[in-house]
Amino acid sequence: MSKASATAEEAPEADAAVEHEREPSGPVGPESDEERRRREQDRRDRRLVKRLKTGDERAFQELVRTYQNRVFGLTFRMLGNRAEAEDLAQEVFLTVFRAIGSYRGEGRFYTWLYRIAANTTKNRIKYLKTRKYNQHSVVLEDSPQAQMPAGEGGSDHSLQSQIPGPEAVVRGNRLQQAIQRELAELDAEHRVLIVLRDIEGLTYQDIINITGLAEGTLKSRLHRARMALKKRMEQHMR
Amino acid sequence: MAEPSQSNAELMSAALDEQLAPEEAAAFEEMLAKDPEAAEEFSQLRDMLALVKNLPEVEAPPDFYEKIARKVRRRRMFQGESFLLISVPFQVLSVLIVMAIAVTYMMLQLDRDPAAKLQRDPSATQGEAPPHGEATPEESPAE
Repeated sequence: MSKASATAEEAPEADAAVEHEREPSGPVGPESDEERRRREQDRRDRRLVKRLKTGDERAFQELVRTYQNRVFGLTFRMLGNRAEAEDLAQEVFLTVFRAIGSYRGEGRFYTWLYRIAANTTKNRIKYLKTRKYNQHSVVLEDSPQAQMPAGEGGSDHSLQSQIPGPEAVVRGNRLQQAIQRELAELDAEHRVLIVLRDIEGLTYQDIINITGLAEGTLKSRLHRARMALKKRMEQHMR
Repeated sequence: MAEPSQSNAELMSAALDEQLAPEEAAAFEEMLAKDPEAAEEFSQLRDMLALVKNLPEVEAPPDFYEKIARKVRRRRMFQGESFLLISVPFQVLSVLIVMAIAVTYMMLQLDRDPAAKLQRDPSATQGEAPPHGEATPEESPAE
């Protein structure tokens, strides 16, 4: 049985209208490192997309390798299940491969990619809900070890690296598991905003381009999402 | 705890994201100083977000691309050129087989149909007819 993927109205073809993305507004001044890095990334993406449209398989490989961790990170954080997240992330890239012809290059490529990923994941969540998917798998799969590729150590950004001492490490692990578990219990619309903003660190403007929300709606919904997660986390943080 | 108003919620989110202009940030600080409940909520949110932001980065499996490439090849095989490469010889072969069956059937039918046989070879019936002058029982005049 085929699993849920982006529906027609959420497919990139239909999203072309949203592609007229606004450039991030900000004070005009000397270009920051971050802006320079983003501009360089945009340039590289444009080249990749151009090659991909001509059917260059190496360009597809390059694209997957560039974005696989980010897309997998998004699907994993939203679903909390590694196998399901991997399957879904593959589905996202297959959709990109199929739909790249309809991408008109008017917006940032990665927002287009994230939009496909977010919509596909939301659809999968709905599908799994109807099949009474057992989200308790999260408990077993969200340990830091489970999140690392085989044979690799922990991330430099992990909580454990910030909190010294074995007890603190245990507490850090427990909190990480709790966050992942509670995150996966939130409403899909809330999950996606927390993942995009607080985990992936995207700007408001990028999230607006990805979700199509108005700025005010985004801010208030993000606040509600954070409040919902805080409420669920209260029992763990005492 | 009371739900913050829409504008407070936006303000709090903006403060957590460090998106407030200096004068807005000052006004927000002032608001927090006057409202301990909001200050407490803000502090809890900040602590929780620090945890969320420090979740370890996840990495896709090392063979992630290879798995996708396999899926692409499989889909191409059933949708694209490879499918044509496989299906066209089968289609041609099927047409040839159907034609061969049709021709064989027609040949067999022709052999069975005397009218068609006669049309093909008029001498065929002459050889079978009785010798000239000998009347068949049906042709013999009534005596």
